[in-house]
Amino acid sequence: MTLGLAAPAGAAPAGDVTTAVRQDGIPETLRVGTEGVYSPFSYHDSKGKLTGYDIELMDAVAAKLGVKVEYVETPWDAMFAALEADKFDIVANQVTRNDERAAKYDLSVPYIDTTGVVVVAEGNSTIKSLTDIKGKRAAENLTSNWSDVARDAGAEVVGMEGMTESIEALRQGRVDVVINDKLAISNYLATVKNPGVKIVTETKDVSQSVYAARKGSGYMDEINRTIVELKANGTEKRIYDKYFGAASSEASRWDLIRNNAWPLLVKMVTATIPLTAITFAIGLVAALGVALARMSSNPFVSFLGRAYISAIRGIPLLVLLFLIFFGLPQFGIKLSPWTAAIIGLSANVAGYAAETIRGAILSLPRGQWEAAQTIGMGYGTSLRRIILPQAARVAVPPLSNTLLSLLKDTSLVSTILVVEMFRQAQIAAAPTFEFFTMYALAALYYWVACTILSYFQGRTETRLNRYVTA
Amino acid sequence: MSTTPATTDTTAAGGHLVDVEHLRKSFGDHEVLRDISFEIRSGSATCIIGPSGSGKTTILRSLNALEIPDSGVVRIGDLTVDFAGITPGRGGRLPRAQREQLAAYRAQSGMVFQSHNLFPHKTVLENVTEGPVIVQGENAAEAAGRARDLLDQVGLSAHVDKYPHQLSGGQQQRVGIARALALRPKLVLFDEPTSALDPELVGDVLGVMKDLAAQGWTMAIVTHELRFAQQVADQVLFIDGGVIVEQGDPRQVIGDPQHERTRTFLRRVMEPI
Repeated sequence: MTLGLAAPAGAAPAGDVTTAVRQDGIPETLRVGTEGVYSPFSYHDSKGKLTGYDIELMDAVAAKLGVKVEYVETPWDAMFAALEADKFDIVANQVTRNDERAAKYDLSVPYIDTTGVVVVAEGNSTIKSLTDIKGKRAAENLTSNWSDVARDAGAEVVGMEGMTESIEALRQGRVDVVINDKLAISNYLATVKNPGVKIVTETKDVSQSVYAARKGSGYMDEINRTIVELKANGTEKRIYDKYFGAASSEASRWDLIRNNAWPLLVKMVTATIPLTAITFAIGLVAALGVALARMSSNPFVSFLGRAYISAIRGIPLLVLLFLIFFGLPQFGIKLSPWTAAIIGLSANVAGYAAETIRGAILSLPRGQWEAAQTIGMGYGTSLRRIILPQAARVAVPPLSNTLLSLLKDTSLVSTILVVEMFRQAQIAAAPTFEFFTMYALAALYYWVACTILSYFQGRTETRLNRYVTA
Repeated sequence: MSTTPATTDTTAAGGHLVDVEHLRKSFGDHEVLRDISFEIRSGSATCIIGPSGSGKTTILRSLNALEIPDSGVVRIGDLTVDFAGITPGRGGRLPRAQREQLAAYRAQSGMVFQSHNLFPHKTVLENVTEGPVIVQGENAAEAAGRARDLLDQVGLSAHVDKYPHQLSGGQQQRVGIARALALRPKLVLFDEPTSALDPELVGDVLGVMKDLAAQGWTMAIVTHELRFAQQVADQVLFIDGGVIVEQGDPRQVIGDPQHERTRTFLRRVMEPI
């Protein structure tokens, strides 16, 4: 992998580095936010290298400016939140210019113009123009400008993760229409065998793709000059022809699986499993603290324990991760993706496991505490020597459930820029649009990992049961 | 030698190891102990009898601070606790100094529970050595040697490496006794030690207790075994309604009770039908 983000906690995470700034206001290393799964603009080729029209053009811009460039891969829905949280300096990801964005961000001059296209299922003959979509269901990414176009035309917008999911929904008849970038759709139709959908018309509006930076960046003029130069000297045209001139070569589904089975496994072993192990360990220790607080005879301490458990059980993990990663920077607390992921997942485990541990401790007869007391043990010694070893036996089955859930929940941290196995699957699928093949492979891997963990759960239970069954 | 009791306390006035004065305890509105006072002579066995709910177990648990009386003074050996001064601070916890005082008080006695409360995750030997090694800091090998002697004395030398669930109820209770003795207490407390046992197993446990009494251990026993009390006890307390109704020599209290309440109770126990 070429990206800092791809490495576990040891490597410096890209989103956190604030580099030196040159005299003209441009950072010596320009951090660029991009999706990495939006073919042909920003995706990984079969060797895993980040490439695409937006990537190559940004490389050319940076070369011209004489700065280094560092890509921070971010899901589209989190792109502007991450920009505002200073995870990177500029977005290069087919950002369409509109008034709202112009008011909120520093936008560059357009580097490519495109129109939108209206896409319907192959057998559909009722939708022929934009006006026909009034009252129909349109599948769009909610934060993209295409959802505005569909809504303005009177369609009911159904939120989708990305273009591929939208088209899949269209093919399955769940929605009636998709509006998206002409270049992206054309590339999709050229890449996929039997797409099952067709373009019926183009939208009138020309959409202009621009770079976006935080307000007051101070260096957009410099970038604008560079874009104009690259257009004038033919560099932009050469990159355009490379990605839109001809249909991309097409890899079969089996090639995709063959090429990615190993990298995906590597990601599971180097990211998903360490993340699970670290957060489970931290989470369990914290859970014990929370459980003991909850059982404290001190009403205030007990209240704190109760409040914590209530908050964790009441806040969706995804929301918690977003609050930590994108929310805390507004209070001056900037965390790397891995740090944020470890905190979020550990905090979640602590909340759930605390109740399990508390239940296990309460399930022991009071006589065990009393017997420990009468042989002179204090609270801490009783807990450590007498109570917890017995509680562990009771707690192992439910805690194993927590562990399996955690392993699967690590996929959520892909939304806060951690490249774990699920994100790796998305990256691999992007250039071929075979998302569902890769998702199925990822699902298989999660399943196998959970099965292995269940086996160890059984062994642990047998070991802990040795003193209760003959 | 390790199985004999700790030396008689020389500080005890008039040969009393334990002085209990004016114990009172309420659970909510229910007053379970109303002004309980008695003494236990060093090396004697005291049996506490009475109907269920009379407060006899609460008296025993007060001697080990498993229950904290509302007021009253207890002296065990050279350690005196005035329970009127033991009150939880803010947050429901006792202040540190009081916790330490109670810990020292508790260390004077060993406790044998009705339901034995052995540690199921530890072997028989570990159950006995846990207190000496972990709490008292005794050398592990020494403690194990003493524990083997104690287990031998209670007839369990063949079972030292078993887990409690592998033993019969009577054997488990004898481990409980060895565990209590291992801490070298001045006083051994028994809370209905045979009540949860099958009838044919009761004899083994009572036999061990009889041996201990003969060796000179100071014992306080809550029991329903009147024949045992008659044979072994130096003193019997009959408790009813939170007061000591009658106390004295077993030949008198059980053999020739003076109070109607005592007579009624004894009749019920001896002739249940």
